[in-house]
Amino acid sequence: MLTFLTSESGFVWDSIATFAESTGIYGFFATEGGWKSIAMIGVAFLLLYLAIKHKFEPLLLFTIAFGMLLTNLPFANMYHTELFAGGHVHWGEFVNSAGLLDYLYLGVKLGIYPCLIFVGVGAMTDFGPLIANPKSFLLGAAAQIGIFITFLGAFALGFSPAESGSIGIIGGADGPTAIYLTSRLAPELLGPIAVAAYSYMALVPVIQPPIMRALTTKKERMIRMRTLRPVSKLERILFPIVITVIIALLLPSAAPLIGCLMLGNLMKECGVVDRLSKTVQNELMNIVVIFLGLTVGATATADAFLNVRTLGILALGVVAFGIGSASGVLLAKLMNLFSKEENKINPLIGSAGVSAVPMAARVSQTVGQKDDPSNFLLMHAMGPNVAGVVGSAVAAGILLSFLG
Amino acid sequence: MIILANTTITGWSEMLWIALISICLVFTTLVLLIGVMKLFGYIFSHKKPVTTAATVSGSPIAHTQLHEDEVAAIMTALRLYMSAFHDRESEVLTIHSIKRAYSPWNSKIHGLTDMPNKK
Repeated sequence: MLTFLTSESGFVWDSIATFAESTGIYGFFATEGGWKSIAMIGVAFLLLYLAIKHKFEPLLLFTIAFGMLLTNLPFANMYHTELFAGGHVHWGEFVNSAGLLDYLYLGVKLGIYPCLIFVGVGAMTDFGPLIANPKSFLLGAAAQIGIFITFLGAFALGFSPAESGSIGIIGGADGPTAIYLTSRLAPELLGPIAVAAYSYMALVPVIQPPIMRALTTKKERMIRMRTLRPVSKLERILFPIVITVIIALLLPSAAPLIGCLMLGNLMKECGVVDRLSKTVQNELMNIVVIFLGLTVGATATADAFLNVRTLGILALGVVAFGIGSASGVLLAKLMNLFSKEENKINPLIGSAGVSAVPMAARVSQTVGQKDDPSNFLLMHAMGPNVAGVVGSAVAAGILLSFLG
Repeated sequence: MIILANTTITGWSEMLWIALISICLVFTTLVLLIGVMKLFGYIFSHKKPVTTAATVSGSPIAHTQLHEDEVAAIMTALRLYMSAFHDRESEVLTIHSIKRAYSPWNSKIHGLTDMPNKK
């Protein structure tokens, strides 16, 4: 009996030890850099808190945070950075060792998710204010200046040109565009850039108003704009088709984003595919948001996130946002110098050129109403706002052409 | 389109040029779109005005619109036409016999108010 116990006890202890060594808790303390994983889980908890409690872009920040949590759990093996090392998929190893998030990440890697999200965004966007006031395109273009100044700033801080382009695009305040470009140019920075882009988009009401007030006088903020002309259904139908053809011919690298955006918009405006329009706005959009958020969060591994470069990206992201907002406001002021009195633009709508639909337009409305509560700028601000979406996609296409 | 892909970017001069060209390209593309949209606006907001004709009252109306007398006449005709319709029974019975089919729902044996059998 005693012999049985002694011979089996070794086996029991070995089994328990083997099991203990396979747990994530052991992984925290035994693996190199285990503390970093604990820190990253802390960051994931913080982002979850911001998304749930303060509703900071919850749809994406929530899923990004949970992806971040999953990827940093030791031994869970849900995401493997090495399978995507060097900017391409290692298909040979993929079959044997890929985890759930590796499979889902292929949608980001192959540029599928951002484009599908753009189909939904297009179906939810009303380009009417832009069609009625095409000058809004200029404000949308001006707000992209932040992208290129930050591009230079990132290079000055020691980032490579491709990385600088990816960091600069944060200034476009357009999550899918930032993810699309970064997955092409600098996939190793996808986690920090996505977190920075979505965090700052949520902070638009905090970042923009001081800049807008600092650059405008009270008189300028009280400018009332002329009512927009009505836009016919035919114009609304032709707009996405014409824009797609022009931009795809000029900038083929921007065609996937612009094409998908306009496809969704045409679905909405033509009125004959309501079922498809509703699907891309709701079911498809929601499914892709889950996959995109989880996998982008999964790229935020401890090694990729916890370094000085991430701090640099976060700092440059604010700079990009600030310069973009300021450029829009300043260009609106410049345009006013050459406009007749009845055609003057309220400079506050210039800051809405940094995409972030419709948050940035709402900020223009709110800041404007502080000085004149009966001045309604929302519809006017929607023009530059949706022009910013087109502008940031164009800027991403140009950067891809140069640096891809 | 100038494509610098695969070109080695080594220093500031290339970076500055890329930034400058990119800004110019963004503006050029969007200014081109402004031109296209202005053309749109011109075409759609300057449609051929509808020819008008003077009425008895003197106010001009479009040919596609109807005069108030015509509208009144049409409305009266419609009223007369619609009032000619009303639901009238055919006064023909179509049910020839009524059978009392058995159903547990109308069974008195299986009623819910059965009293206890006290013997």
